[in-house]
Amino acid sequence: MNLLERAPIELKAWLLNLLGVFGVPDWALAILSALLIIGTVIAVFLGLFALTSVMERKILARVQNRLGPNRVGPFGLFQPVADGIKMITKEDLVPRGADPIVHFLAPVVMMVPALLVLAILPYGRDMVPVELEAGILYFFAVGAGTEVAVFMAGWGSNNKYSVLGAMRAIAQMISYEIPLVLSAIVAAMIAGSLMPSVIVAAQGGFAFGFVPQWFVFTPWGFTAGLIFYIGALAESNRSPFDLPEGESELVAGHLTEYSGFKYATFFMAEYVGMFAICGLFVTLFLGGWQAPLPFLEIIPSWCWFFGKVCFVAFTMIWVRATLPRLRIDHLLAFAWKFLLPMSFAAFLAAACWHYAGRGALGWGMSLVIVAVPYLALGTSFTRRFAVSKRTYQFSE
Amino acid sequence: MMCDFFHSLCADPVNAIGGWFVLLPAAVLLLAAAASVVLRNLIHAALCLTLSFIALGVVYLALGAEFVGFVQLLVYVGAVAMVIVFAILLTRPDELERSRSFFAGFGPAGGAAAALATLAVLLGAIFTSPTGDRPMPPAVAVPVADLGKALMGDYVVALIVIGVLLTAALVGAAVLAMEDEP
Repeated sequence: MNLLERAPIELKAWLLNLLGVFGVPDWALAILSALLIIGTVIAVFLGLFALTSVMERKILARVQNRLGPNRVGPFGLFQPVADGIKMITKEDLVPRGADPIVHFLAPVVMMVPALLVLAILPYGRDMVPVELEAGILYFFAVGAGTEVAVFMAGWGSNNKYSVLGAMRAIAQMISYEIPLVLSAIVAAMIAGSLMPSVIVAAQGGFAFGFVPQWFVFTPWGFTAGLIFYIGALAESNRSPFDLPEGESELVAGHLTEYSGFKYATFFMAEYVGMFAICGLFVTLFLGGWQAPLPFLEIIPSWCWFFGKVCFVAFTMIWVRATLPRLRIDHLLAFAWKFLLPMSFAAFLAAACWHYAGRGALGWGMSLVIVAVPYLALGTSFTRRFAVSKRTYQFSE
Repeated sequence: MMCDFFHSLCADPVNAIGGWFVLLPAAVLLLAAAASVVLRNLIHAALCLTLSFIALGVVYLALGAEFVGFVQLLVYVGAVAMVIVFAILLTRPDELERSRSFFAGFGPAGGAAAALATLAVLLGAIFTSPTGDRPMPPAVAVPVADLGKALMGDYVVALIVIGVLLTAALVGAAVLAMEDEP
């Protein structure tokens, strides 16, 4: 058990030792050590991306009662290879009116934050690439670069669909970032640190010997976790929040004028970003690399982390297959008028929990603080958006 | 001295370069800031300004101010740059042409005079400032938790005043954007 648990760390130490024997100087070993970690993380996530790109289609196909890709390799598993070859050999078109530099740089800028945020996730026990004291803050600070990239893609393409799509995407990202950050702060507040590894450690242990003490199993944690999950869907532009790319009205939003490998880069960045935010969700609310039951701790911690990340990604695909797309005004109203007050409620409930403790008092108080605004906002929303005859401004 | 530097460079390049690393983002910062002033294309200027915001954040990080660096990125790149970009996108270019300000009449000479006056004021402030005479405080890594405690303890009044100000601005913006009921 211990061997498997520490396998990645031991493997790296063994490799570096081997190089040290051959007389590689210490400073080069330090750089190599960093490069090894970076290479492994990028390889794992790009592998996950390749796997997900085919699994997503398979799952969607299963939901829609069809077969999905099954021609290339066993069960269609080599589909990503075929896609890759197609993407690389496809002609790279740049519109004549486009801004060539901005158009070219946008996919690059998109990829940078998606890869950078992977640095702070705790992948297992003692397996954090970069231990930052303000790790959660780093995640959101670097993630802000995505909005710049989306804007560059939209404006640089010199296409009205691109600009409209980019503006929708940015409006949506900025609106949903506020509940996202507020709900992340709730977890940081209870753990008393912005360090991801400390937050994971705070969710360790089992109540009554078998109930994991993950934050999602508390009233405030459940609320904040759900808000974070919805925010994560919106932040990674996934259905039902994929209207920046709503093909029926905007062709493909800011991706309209991209083809070939630039398009693939956007696609890749979006999926890696989705995995990163799933990883943060798992870290903040689902106990990170902690096993769900005491006897399951024989399975290595990094397996649990990636298992949970894949499960969350699976639920996102499931949501995509189930829910229809929202309208832009509904989407923004939902963020500002429902999620924002609810995240304040979760915030308050977590504060009460902090002072009242993990007892009947803490449970009762935080439950009431979360439930009352939920019921009030929910009833007001159903009244305001009750089904009635629609009136439109520009059509009959 | 040059020889010493080369010697340490060969022995331990990571540490030898580490101290000079701050110069790289600083150079990017200056170049991007200059480009954002010089470029005629508004969007390019805004993107260069964003780059200079990012470079400033990296300068903070290289100087060891982790929290300030990340907040700089979060606030300036995530919010301020986007507000600038939206302001450019939502104004029509023809309106931009027509709105001639009073100062535009003075031409390049007026611009140069304004720049010189600003430079004089800034230089005066810098040279008369007592900050340069004070001894360098020792570099300490401040834990984020201590920063939070200071903000919630000693500086709580300032924090709350800024919060009220921002809320007022937000309410004002919402009132301005609200459509009149027909």
